[in-house]
Amino acid sequence: MGERSVLVIGGGVAGMQAAFDLAEAGIKVFLVERTLSIGGRMAQLDKTFPTNDCAICILAPKMMDCYRHGNIEVLTFSEVISVEGEVDSFNVKILRNPRFIDEEICNGCGDCAKVCPMGILNKFDMDLRVRGGAYIPFLQAVPLIYALDREKCMRCGLCKVVCGKDAIQYDQRPEIVEMTVSAIIVATGFDALDPSSITEYGYGRYENVITALEFERLICAAGPTGGHVMGKDGKEVKSIAWIQCVGARDMRDNRPYCCSVCCMHATKEAILTKEHYPEVETYIFYTDLRCFGKGFQEYVNRAKDDYGVEYIRGKPGEIREKEDTNLEIFYSPSSDKVERLEVEMVVLCTALIPSEGVEALAGVLGVELDEYKFFKLKDPYNFTETTRDGIFVAGYCQAPRDIPECIAHGSAAASRAMEVVLGGNRNHEKSQ
Amino acid sequence: MTEEIRIGVFICHCGINIGGVVDVPAVVEYASTLPNIVHAERNLYTCSSEGLESIKAAIKEHNLNRVTVASCTPRTHEPLFRATCKEVGLNPYLFEFVNIRDQCSWVHMHEPERATEKAKDLLRMGVAKAARLEPLEELTSDVIPSAVVIGAGISGMTAALSVARNGFSVHLIEKEKEIGGMLRNLYRLYPTDEPAEEFLEQRIKAVKEHKRIALRLSSAVRAVEGYVGKFKVILDENGIEKSIDAGVIIVATGAEEFEPEGLYEYDGERVITQLQLEEQLKKGDLNWAGIKNVMMIQCAGARGEVVGYCSRICCMNAIKNAKLIKEAHPDINVFVAHNELQAYGEVYELYYRDAKKAGVRFLRFPLERRPKVRRSDGNLVVDVFHERMRLDIPLEADLVVLSVPLVQNPDATQLSKMLKVPLGQDKFFFEAHVKLRPVDFATDGIFLCGTAHGPKDIGESIAQGYAAASRATIPLARGYVHSEPIISSVNEELCIGCGICESVCPYGAIEVVETEEGGRARVTGVRCKGCGTCGSSCIKRAIKMYHFTDEQLIAQERAAVVTEVIS
Amino acid sequence: MAEVKIVGFLCNWCCYAGADLAGVSRFQYPSNIRIIRVMCSGRVDPVIILDAFLYGAAGVFVGGCHPGDCHYLQGNYYAEKKIEMARRLLKEAEVDPKRLRLEWVSASEGERFVKIIKEFTDEIKALGPVTFEKGAMEAACLAAADYRLRILATKERELLEEGNKYGEVFTRHEMDRLLDDLVREEYEVKRILLKLNKPMSVKELSAELNLKPNIVLRHILDLKRYELIDLHEIRDNTPTYIARELSEEGEITE
Repeated sequence: MGERSVLVIGGGVAGMQAAFDLAEAGIKVFLVERTLSIGGRMAQLDKTFPTNDCAICILAPKMMDCYRHGNIEVLTFSEVISVEGEVDSFNVKILRNPRFIDEEICNGCGDCAKVCPMGILNKFDMDLRVRGGAYIPFLQAVPLIYALDREKCMRCGLCKVVCGKDAIQYDQRPEIVEMTVSAIIVATGFDALDPSSITEYGYGRYENVITALEFERLICAAGPTGGHVMGKDGKEVKSIAWIQCVGARDMRDNRPYCCSVCCMHATKEAILTKEHYPEVETYIFYTDLRCFGKGFQEYVNRAKDDYGVEYIRGKPGEIREKEDTNLEIFYSPSSDKVERLEVEMVVLCTALIPSEGVEALAGVLGVELDEYKFFKLKDPYNFTETTRDGIFVAGYCQAPRDIPECIAHGSAAASRAMEVVLGGNRNHEKSQ
Repeated sequence: MTEEIRIGVFICHCGINIGGVVDVPAVVEYASTLPNIVHAERNLYTCSSEGLESIKAAIKEHNLNRVTVASCTPRTHEPLFRATCKEVGLNPYLFEFVNIRDQCSWVHMHEPERATEKAKDLLRMGVAKAARLEPLEELTSDVIPSAVVIGAGISGMTAALSVARNGFSVHLIEKEKEIGGMLRNLYRLYPTDEPAEEFLEQRIKAVKEHKRIALRLSSAVRAVEGYVGKFKVILDENGIEKSIDAGVIIVATGAEEFEPEGLYEYDGERVITQLQLEEQLKKGDLNWAGIKNVMMIQCAGARGEVVGYCSRICCMNAIKNAKLIKEAHPDINVFVAHNELQAYGEVYELYYRDAKKAGVRFLRFPLERRPKVRRSDGNLVVDVFHERMRLDIPLEADLVVLSVPLVQNPDATQLSKMLKVPLGQDKFFFEAHVKLRPVDFATDGIFLCGTAHGPKDIGESIAQGYAAASRATIPLARGYVHSEPIISSVNEELCIGCGICESVCPYGAIEVVETEEGGRARVTGVRCKGCGTCGSSCIKRAIKMYHFTDEQLIAQERAAVVTEVIS
Repeated sequence: MAEVKIVGFLCNWCCYAGADLAGVSRFQYPSNIRIIRVMCSGRVDPVIILDAFLYGAAGVFVGGCHPGDCHYLQGNYYAEKKIEMARRLLKEAEVDPKRLRLEWVSASEGERFVKIIKEFTDEIKALGPVTFEKGAMEAACLAAADYRLRILATKERELLEEGNKYGEVFTRHEMDRLLDDLVREEYEVKRILLKLNKPMSVKELSAELNLKPNIVLRHILDLKRYELIDLHEIRDNTPTYIARELSEEGEITE
C-alpha cells in the first residue's frame, strides 16, 4: 500500500478547505466534484455578507490553490459510485464522465465554444444566459477545460475543425477510477428549492418573480445582464421585495427548519441594489430576522440606517401579477388586517435543501441521512461525525450554515481525517 | 545592473468593481506610455485562470522580467500572482501589486474621473517600484513539533485533543484549577437536554488520559516570544515561572457573561442572568415555592443597548431553560420576551417548536421599546410592549431572567498584545479574514477558536476547535515553514557598528559582531520579520530593507506627486 | 487643474488593512491620497517624508497600529519620534508641520480611517498649496539623513524613559530644548553647505540665509573641520568657501 490518502466529495468552499488543509499537511487528497468546475455555490454569488467581499475575487485564488496543489488531485465531472472496506482502507470507485474534450490537451482557449451553433441555457447562470454546446460553466472555472454537452451536442464537427490542439474526442467513454483511501469527507452542499410548488407566489407564472440565486446572477457584473437588475422584459425595475422562508420554516412540505443564511443574503442583495441604484425601493419581508453571526447585526443596522432598506415583518399570503406585470403583495402586519404593496420585482429566498442525489450518495457511503436529508450525526455536538467510522462531513450538507462556518467546518473535518491518517493508529482513538 | 527592465502591466476590471468606476482602457493606454513597459493589457478578472494564463503567456512572449498587476489588494491576492510568476520561472519578488479597488474604485465610487486619475497615479507608483525590485529567495526554518493551546474550555480541549491525536504534543494552558471552562457552570445543554456535567466528564477524561497532552493548570501566560515554528511561551504556573517551546499557538480563551449592573433592576436574586439561573438549577437550590411567573428578557444589554452585536446563543439558551422549567413545573407560567428569535438552522427551529408545545409563552417586543422591569409593593412587574396592540402590558413576575450577551474576557486585551494579534470593534479576537480565514490570525502560526472569536454554542465551539487543530497541524506535520525574504541587510562598508539597529530590533535579528574591520551589524534572516525600523534608524543609512528599500519607496513617493516620469 | 496630493505611508498590518476595510465597506473619502504600503510605520524614514514634500506633496500621512498593537511590538513608538523629527525639520523649512500627520488605525477601523482622511484632506486643502524655498527643503532632507539627527530620533525614547549612559533621565522640557537647538543647527549647517555649491563668503551667506555672521562662521569652521568645505580664495581680504563634493542639486541619493 502506497501513501495514505483522503477522498473529499464536493468541491465547494467546505470541500476545498478540507482538501487544502490535508494537502498542506502533506496528505494526498482526491477531490471529486460532480460539475465541470470546483468552486461550488459561492462561485455563483456576487458579493458576500457582511463584508460585501466580491465572492469570486476571494474564491478564485482558493480554487487555483487547490487545483495547483501538488498533493491534490482534482477530479471534476466525476461521481463516487462505490465505497467498500472500512476506516483506514476504503476502496473507492469513481466514475469520470466524458467531457468529449481531452483534459490534458485543452488549453481553455474557447475556440470550440465560439463556433458551436447550439444555444443552451446555462445552469450556472440559473438559466438566464445561453451558452454553447461546448462550454465552461463560468469564466473563472477551475480547471479551465471545456466540455461538450453530451445531450445537446449534435456532433456537427465544427469544434473539431477549429480546435487547434485537436482536443475534441467525440468517442470519449466514461471511465472508472479506483483508489484506496484512509478516510472520506463529504461536502456536497445544497440546492435551492424550486419554488413553483408554492403556488401563491406565482414563480414560473409571473414574469418578475425570481429566486435569490437568480438575483445573484443578475446583479453580478460578470452575470448574464452585466450587473443590470432588470425584469424578464428587459425593463430596469424601480422597486424590489424579498420574501424570506419560501418553503422553509413551513410544515407543508415538512421543511420546518431555518436555512440560516437567507436573512443576511437578502440584506446583502438589498444593499447591493441600493449601491447600484440608490433610487430603487427595497423591501424585505421576514419572519424572524436572523442576524446572529459576527457583524450581522451591524450589517442590518447599516442596511436600515445608511441604505434605507425597509424591513417588514410578516410572510405574504399571496402575490398577484397586474396587467402591467407589476406585482401586488398581500400581507398581514397584524391579525385583523391585510395590506398591499406593489413592486416591480419579487425575489424569493427559497429554502436551501441538501443537493440532489444525496440519498444515492449516502447509500453508496453507507451513512444515514436525517428526516430532511441532511447527513445525520453520530454525536449531535460533533458536527464532523457521520454515522460511519472514518467518514466525515463538512458544510451545508450536514446542516444550514454560512460561508465562514462552512470553511471552519471543512477544516474541522480535515482535522478528523488527519487523526486517521497522521495519528497512525488503525483503530483511531474513539471520537468524543 | 545592465539588465534591461521589461515590465508587463495587467489591469483588472474585477467585473464592475473596478471597471464600473475607473476607466480601465484609459489606464491601460496610460500604462503603455510609462518607461520600461513592454506590455500592458486589461482583464475582466486578472485572478481567473484565464487572467493568470495571460500573465504567464505574456511573461514568456515578451520576455518580461517584472510584472505589475493593478487590481484588488495584496493582502488577499499577492500570493496568487507571485505563485503565477514563479510558475514560469520569474522570481516572485519581481512582482508588484497596485491596489486600485479597495483603495480606489470602491472608495471613490461617485467620482469616476478622479478615481481614474488616481488609478493612473497608483499605477505609475507601482511601476516605479517594480523597476527597482530585486529577486529574493525564500527562507526556510524548522518547526518545533508541539502546540500550545491557551484555554481549556470546550473548544480548547477539542483543539488540544485533535492536535494530540494528529500525533503532536500539546501544552494545554488553563488559568483555573480545573479544565472545562464555561461548561462547568451550565445545567443542561440544548438541543439534547443532557446534563452538562455528564457531557463534560467524558471529554475531560479523554483530555486527561491522552498521553500527548500536558495540562498546565492555574497558569497564566506572561509573555510570548518567537515566531511560527519557534514560539516561546512564558507561563506563571502556580506562582512559578515556566517556559514552553512550541511551534504553534491556539487561542481558546473563551468569553464571559456580561454583568447587567444597573439594567432591568438586576439584583442577582430575583432578577438574575441565565448563567445564574443555570447555576441554581444545577445545584437545585432555587426555591420554587412562591414562583408563579418566570419572565425571561432577551437581548438584555445587547443589540444596541450596551454592546452592539447579537450574542447568537441567548435565544436558544433561554428557550432551553424556559422549556426545562415548564416541563418540571407545568403550573409555572414561563414567558420569553424577545425581539428577533434566533432559532436558526435545522435543529434549533424544531427545538423552539417543542418549547412552544411545552407551553412556554413567547412575547415579541420591538427593539426600540424594550421591556421595563419595575418594583411595585415588593413585587416585580415587567412591562412588555405589545407590538400589535401598541401598548405596554404589565406582567407580574416572581423571577426575572436576563439573557445577557457573551462578552470578551478582560484578560484578552493583554493576551492580544502579547501575541500581537488584533481584537475587533466588538472586542472579540479578530480573525485574518472574516469570510475565508475564520480560525486563522494574520500572524503565521497563531490560530483561534471558540467564543474568544465571538459568541458560539457547544457544537459550534467544538467545530471551531477541530478547525483550529487542522490549521495548526499543518506546520507541525510539515516540519518546516517558509518565511518571506523581506528582511533587512547591512552594507558592511557603510556600517560603523554603532549598534543602534540592535537596540531597536524587537526580535534580536540584528546584532553587532566583531569583524576584521571592527564591529559590524549582521542580520539573522529567519528571525527578521521585516519591519524595517532598523533601516530608518541606521545613522549611516547602511541598512537596506529588502522589498521596501529607500530607493523603492522614494521612487514610489516621487511618482505619486510628480506626474512627469522621473528616471 | 491638478488636485493637491497627499502621500500616505500605511503599515501593512493595521492601517493598510483598515483602508482596505473602508473599501470593502464602501465608505467614501476624498481621492487626494496616494497610498504606499510599508510593513511597519517604523520603517518610514524622515528623509523619505521630506523628499515627498520636496517633490510636491501637499501633505504626508503616516498610519500605524495603535500603541501596544504594533505587529512588530514597538515600531510605532519609533515612528512617533521619527515623525516628530520630520515635523521639526518642516518647521525649519517654514512648512506648516500640520501637513505631516501620524495616526493609529487598526485593521477593523475602516470608519476611523475614512474620518481621519477626510479631516486631513480638508485641513490640507484649507492650508492651500505648499510653498517653500527649494534650498530650505533640500537642507531639511540632508539634515534628516545626517547621523546626528538620526541618533536623536531613535534614542529620544530611550533618553526620556531610561536615561543616557550616565543614567540621567531627560525631562520632556529638556529634551525639547535639546532637540530644538540641535535640529536648528543641523539645518543651518546643511543650508550653508548647499549654498556653497558656488564660492561664497561668510558675509554673503549671512545675508542670503538671514543668519547672524557669527553663527555662520561657527558652522563654516565646523564644516571645514569635517572636511566638507574648502577655502576657495581670498577675495578682497575676505575668504570665500566652496563645498567639496555634493551630489547633483543636493539631492539625497542612495
